[in-house]
Amino acid sequence: MSNDLAPITPNSTLCQTLSCLQEKFVVDFANSIDVARDHIRVQRQRTGFFARMYDGFTGKGARRQTEINAGLVDGVEASLKWLTELTESMAQSNLAITQVNDRVSILSGSMVELSHYSVDTREQLKEMAYRLDKRMHDMTQEISRIDFIQKAKLNIDITFSKWEAGRFSVLSPAARCYAAMEELHWGSLGDYCRCLENPAHKRREFLQLVIDRSTKQLAVDAAVELQTPAEMATVWLAAPSISRSSNGIDMPQALSWLADQMTIDSTPFIYSAAHITKNLPSKVPLIAQARRIAEAMTHEIFPLETLDA
Amino acid sequence: MPDTTVFSESPSTGLVLSGGGAKGAYQVGVLRALTELDIRVDMVAGASIGALNGAVLACAPSLPVGVQRLEELWIRLSKESPLQTNTPIYLKLLAAAGLTLGTPRLSKLLMTLGAISSDSLLSDQPLKRLIDEYLDIEGLMRGLPLYVSVYETLGGLTDILRCVLADTGLVDTPPSDFMHVQALPDDERKDALLASAALPLLYQARQIGGKNYTDGGQGGWQTSQGNTPITPLVKAGCQQVIVTHLSDGSLWSRHNFPDTTILEIRPQSNITQGSELKALLGFDGASITRLMEQGYHDTLHCIGRVTKASNSRKALQHSQLLLDSSLKRGINQDADLLNAMEKIRLSNQNSEWVNFR
Repeated sequence: MSNDLAPITPNSTLCQTLSCLQEKFVVDFANSIDVARDHIRVQRQRTGFFARMYDGFTGKGARRQTEINAGLVDGVEASLKWLTELTESMAQSNLAITQVNDRVSILSGSMVELSHYSVDTREQLKEMAYRLDKRMHDMTQEISRIDFIQKAKLNIDITFSKWEAGRFSVLSPAARCYAAMEELHWGSLGDYCRCLENPAHKRREFLQLVIDRSTKQLAVDAAVELQTPAEMATVWLAAPSISRSSNGIDMPQALSWLADQMTIDSTPFIYSAAHITKNLPSKVPLIAQARRIAEAMTHEIFPLETLDA
Repeated sequence: MPDTTVFSESPSTGLVLSGGGAKGAYQVGVLRALTELDIRVDMVAGASIGALNGAVLACAPSLPVGVQRLEELWIRLSKESPLQTNTPIYLKLLAAAGLTLGTPRLSKLLMTLGAISSDSLLSDQPLKRLIDEYLDIEGLMRGLPLYVSVYETLGGLTDILRCVLADTGLVDTPPSDFMHVQALPDDERKDALLASAALPLLYQARQIGGKNYTDGGQGGWQTSQGNTPITPLVKAGCQQVIVTHLSDGSLWSRHNFPDTTILEIRPQSNITQGSELKALLGFDGASITRLMEQGYHDTLHCIGRVTKASNSRKALQHSQLLLDSSLKRGINQDADLLNAMEKIRLSNQNSEWVNFR
């Protein structure tokens, strides 16, 4: 018959009921109440004289009472068992609560520790970020400084390359030197030297480089030895004979225009190189070495006061 | 007797249907409630009317179908009573009791009863017809194992006297025999069922295996050994048995079967209303309907109480298992937490050492 029933699953009422039947003491415990009630109900109804006599004579009354008593004993025994198990379960639960409480305490301690660790780590990170930021700033500044130096060097190289390549050949050697100085003054080197944040010794090094390279190129252009003095008028200020091309006329005029603000007293070498004069300024020597001219022009363009400021 | 141990490996929920005549309608309500509770029954034992109910149930392909057939049967019984007098015997009895003059009536009546004890006051033709109609022998052979209790008779009057003596507590009746219906020869199956329900004097005894048997409810009178036939189920290996009673305050005791889990369905209010004889033979519609309803509600009550207690206990056990599991997981997590915190501490110490450098 059971083959035609619906499939039995672990959650079905059947399994619940059968599993409850498997625990005999639970069934006895619960079912004994109904059994005892049945007997007690009959017992109450049999209170008549003859019924009591009959039950007493046949022993039915005693047997019924025995059944009630046995049911009660079963119930008490089951209660004891259940109570024992319940107490054990409760003890286990209390133990578990204690463990949970201990665990919560440990967890709280760890949490505090973790919080401190977190705050410390945050502080360290902030400090590290500050340091990194400063470092980055310094590096940026350093890169800017290096870049500035490189640009100044490049300015020097390009300017002297022009000079060496003969781009100023329509001018006298002194004028060439002045033209180169102007290129440097308006170029990156000029910016570098005017920036007071740059170290003075570095600016001096650059100017010394300019003087050295100018000296060398002046000597080359004038075809004289470096240590050999030459006449100012015939060598250093002597303009080459040139064709009357536009460049040959325009460049001296442009140079003259550039030196328009130069005075004979403050910048005698530049003045004499940029303007055509019959007589040399009194501050300009009649003969001079190439270095003397280079130094004089450099300092007239890049005054020492500005370097030392 | 058939060997009842052949089912020892079969599933182990048994159902005992006690005897009680017309009060057997109560068992229909019990079975309806068991069906609704989705309780499976693996074997049945019955006495008297319980044997007949059990037979209809065992023939059915499923418990719900069996319950449906039983409801139909009992509604029909409320309309067509199975009690039909055996006219020749009845007339003889009337003659013995009232038409003879000059002899003490009681002694004459007893003598006549003794003389007709091999016959019966009621005809068993209605019962036979019902059995033929509702008993599907093929279905029975495929269905639940069915045990019925039968009582070896010494004659109807003697049987009654032995029961009266047993009821006084002086001498108990001999124990009933239990028959595994499916293990009987074909021609004896119906006889076994009729024998189990054959009230002494009222119905004719049946001969099985050369012995005459009547209502199995008479055996072991003082302990209801025959009327509440749990013994064959226990012997067949049932570990849990549902027992239905058809009397108020039955003195059948569960304590005689300490190794079996027994759930008794007992009446929660008087099942017998009026005289015992009237209740035993009162196949009227009102009684049958009332008994069916009572059986249904009593079953829900009795099983509900057990289920509630058991479910709460299971919930407790389940929660304990969960707690154990949770605690074990917690221990592992504790170790993980300790390790993690130890790493943090070591890391802290190392970073301090680096800062110090």
